[in-house]
Amino acid sequence: MNETKGKNELLPGTLEMLILKTLSIQPMHGYGIAQHIRTISRSVLTVEEGSLYPALQRMLVKGWVSAEWKVSANNRRARFYTLTPAGRKQLGVEESRFSQVFGAIMRVMKTT
Amino acid sequence: MGSLLRRLLFLFRRDRLDRDLEEELRFHEEMTAQSLADDMGGDEARAAARRRLGHSLQLRERAREPWTFVTVETLVQDVRHALRLMRRDPAFTLTALATLALGIGLSTAIFSVAYGVLWRPLPYPHPDRLVILSAAQQAEKGVKTIWTWAPVSYEALAQRLGAFDHLAAYVSIEAQLTGRGEPLQVPAVEVSPNFFTTLGVGPVRGRSFLTAAGAAEDDRAAIVSDRLWRSALKADPAIVGQSITINGVPRTVVGVLPPRFSFRPVIRAGTLPEADVFLPSRSPGDQGRSAFLYLLGRLKPAVTKERAEAELTALVNDPSVVAPGALAPEGVLAPNVRTIARTAGLQEYGAGPVRTLLLVVLGAVAFVLLIACVNVANLQMARLTARRGELSVRMALGAGRRRVVRQLLTETIVLSLAGAAFGVLLARIAIDLTLPLVPQAVLPRLGRIEIDGGVLAFSVALTLVSGLLIGLVPALRVSRTALADGRALHAGEARTTGDGPGERLRTLLVVGQVAMTLVLLIGAGLLMHSFVRLTSVSPGFEASGRDGVVSTVRVMLPETFFDGPERIHAFARGVLDRIRYLPGVKSASLVNSPPFGRMFIQGEFSIEGQPKPDFDAGRPKIAAGYFRTMGIPLLAGREFTEADTADASKVAIVSERIVRECFPGGPGEALGRRVRLDGLNDASEWMTVVGVVADIRHMGLDRDVQPMIYVPFQQDRSDFVRLVSFVARTTTPATVVEGIRTEIRRAAPDLAITAAVTMDEAVAASVAPPRFRMLVLGLFALAATLIATCGIYGLMAYAVTQRRREIGVRVALGAERRDVLRLVLGRALRVVAAGVVLGLAGAVAVTRVLRTFLFGVTPTDPLAFTVVTAVLMAVGLIAAWMPARRATRIDPVEALRAE
Repeated sequence: MNETKGKNELLPGTLEMLILKTLSIQPMHGYGIAQHIRTISRSVLTVEEGSLYPALQRMLVKGWVSAEWKVSANNRRARFYTLTPAGRKQLGVEESRFSQVFGAIMRVMKTT
Repeated sequence: MGSLLRRLLFLFRRDRLDRDLEEELRFHEEMTAQSLADDMGGDEARAAARRRLGHSLQLRERAREPWTFVTVETLVQDVRHALRLMRRDPAFTLTALATLALGIGLSTAIFSVAYGVLWRPLPYPHPDRLVILSAAQQAEKGVKTIWTWAPVSYEALAQRLGAFDHLAAYVSIEAQLTGRGEPLQVPAVEVSPNFFTTLGVGPVRGRSFLTAAGAAEDDRAAIVSDRLWRSALKADPAIVGQSITINGVPRTVVGVLPPRFSFRPVIRAGTLPEADVFLPSRSPGDQGRSAFLYLLGRLKPAVTKERAEAELTALVNDPSVVAPGALAPEGVLAPNVRTIARTAGLQEYGAGPVRTLLLVVLGAVAFVLLIACVNVANLQMARLTARRGELSVRMALGAGRRRVVRQLLTETIVLSLAGAAFGVLLARIAIDLTLPLVPQAVLPRLGRIEIDGGVLAFSVALTLVSGLLIGLVPALRVSRTALADGRALHAGEARTTGDGPGERLRTLLVVGQVAMTLVLLIGAGLLMHSFVRLTSVSPGFEASGRDGVVSTVRVMLPETFFDGPERIHAFARGVLDRIRYLPGVKSASLVNSPPFGRMFIQGEFSIEGQPKPDFDAGRPKIAAGYFRTMGIPLLAGREFTEADTADASKVAIVSERIVRECFPGGPGEALGRRVRLDGLNDASEWMTVVGVVADIRHMGLDRDVQPMIYVPFQQDRSDFVRLVSFVARTTTPATVVEGIRTEIRRAAPDLAITAAVTMDEAVAASVAPPRFRMLVLGLFALAATLIATCGIYGLMAYAVTQRRREIGVRVALGAERRDVLRLVLGRALRVVAAGVVLGLAGAVAVTRVLRTFLFGVTPTDPLAFTVVTAVLMAVGLIAAWMPARRATRIDPVEALRAE
């Protein structure tokens, strides 16, 4: 149950947004997604497997991403996820919602 | 929905998805290991990676979750787990199952009865539109309601009703079927020709009664039920057109009703048994003022009761429609008071007398079920506390709290479903066994009483609710502590011990249980006290005594055999003469309407030289020796004798009540005065009062004594003497009753004997409804007490086990056996006392609903309250006694070492 704690606790719902954003650059496998988020966030955000794979499955069910087996850069078979048109639309929705919430939080924090 | 479709597809490609997931995770693991390997050694890295991936099983589960119908899958799992646990702990399972089966079974049985009587739609099309008409007037003592109508009123109303599609009339009669084997008493109704049209169900063979012009043709017709056709008429396929003899009159069967047809005449006091014979009403052209017809109307669609009532009210106040002064059993409508017409739904009216009782009983059974649930919840709580280890481990391994609660709830719901299965079976048996024993008078039923889909749905709903009730509180409570334990376990700490909040909750539950039991017990106690009060009332006659018991044999003399009073008088005199000489008969007589015999004829009367009394008097017709036979004391003057014949001067005997109201000088003043019966068709000449007798209660022990004017049977020429009850005081009732039957048969071979009962039985039958109420509530209170006793026992036994160490320490420090007993019993007493206080408050608030059932007892009767409270306290102490004894035997050394 306690998959996200400590410094890398994500706001609820943001994980899916991060995955969508990552996949909007190019199709990637799960490990790649986790690495990408970690690298770009300079290790502030760590996506745990316990959250990542269930989230990916959820998104598959919702039809935001599709998956197929391909050969990875190091010549291994890996499952690559691709953003679907529905996923792209969803990314827009999530982005605008996030910026709204983020903006709101910042406004609150700046008020002294 | 696309996602639903994808999930459905998954069900078929589940293996592939599992494999995909498996490979994907392995890939991830290796990649992680590789990246870690850059920092540390290979093996170490792999181990670290695996550790990172952690609960891979759990991860796999959770990754799969979005695809599956999680609830269904885990449900199957949980149910299996629950069944396994039930098998593993048979003692718990059996106790819980028995308790639940009892609770749910009782509830189902009672609900099926209540549903059948109060709510099940009647077997006619649009039964909600069928209404019974009544007229009400504001009288001095509340509202006076008259339910029956004179034939002239019916004819007039039937011609002008705009709000009704049909308006039918019926009156139930006593009928004898002769000429087809043994003479048979059959329930019958006389109905207006449009009766079946009004109900909306008609014969399947033959035809219905002819209306309008054809009605006269049907004068001698009869329609019979499927039941009668199959039994007495031997299912003769050619029955339509044949003749059967009813009350000595040959009648042509014109129709047979369908098998599922049922009409139970709804009358003022409830319902009568299902009618088997339907005869066309004799009332057309009857200009009499006797109001005896019940009116059954079918409202037009979309016409409200209010509109129909408004329309009817206008009509009933019009003297040309409803002639004033029509005499109904309830009395007469006053001529100058506004009359309000009412309509009551057929079912609502028929079930009226038992509605409150059934609702009370439903409430009582809900209490029993709740008490049972509390017990099982407590058992479950104790068991879960014992299983806390298992639960902590599961939670430490990552099972969510919600998941654990769900699983625990599944356990209790599975348990209660199993209990319900037994319960419904139990209910079936209970209904089949007991319902035939419950007379119509006690429980009027219009519809069928059975466990059908509707009742089953109710039981299932009840079961699920019970399951939740039983499971939720313990599951939440235990999962919380288990979660804490789990965390501790994770951190490698020792498991905490002690169980404070759980025990407090269990105690509270038992307190509630005791409170509910007390409410039920007090309800039963009130009814019991009331019943004792009621049955200690003297009816005024001696139903049984040193000289033997009074037996009665009733017959009805139809016009065909006995076309005038002379023949009736001769028959009665002849039979009575022979009965007097039967062996074993101490004395014998006859009466037309015996006390406690359902019928009471009363009417206006006059006293010569006095203003007309403003109350009515009963007017039984009796033969010589009646008072001696019945054991009614003669206070002044003489009894009737053989000399008071039709030709002798007219005489009467009055009861004490009349003397009290009309002759301030006492019985002596009444003797020699003259009285006269007015109004009804037995209006008389002036009769000289020759005797005064003590008062009796004619209609029931809970009724006031009735003013009576007794008249010699041989001097009465009205139709009321067609009813004859022979009464005999004897020490050998069985042979004497048989002797009376033989004498009647000898005098009139085709006469059916309506009833043979002793006066004791008649009085007992009159108190059958209160006895039934007392027994039902008493039974529930007993069940509740037993269950609550188990609850108290369980709580204390558990508490003693939990506190072994504490008690051990106390004993080691020198506590005596007495002190230990006091410790445990004192605690039990506190629990019971708390429950009793709560229950007393509840009872004061609730017992008001019993008010209409109580006789001579108030809803807060101090006797019932104190006795019941004392009994429950005692029961509580007895329940705690065994655990207390066990506590005294705790060996301090062992108790302390065990920790």
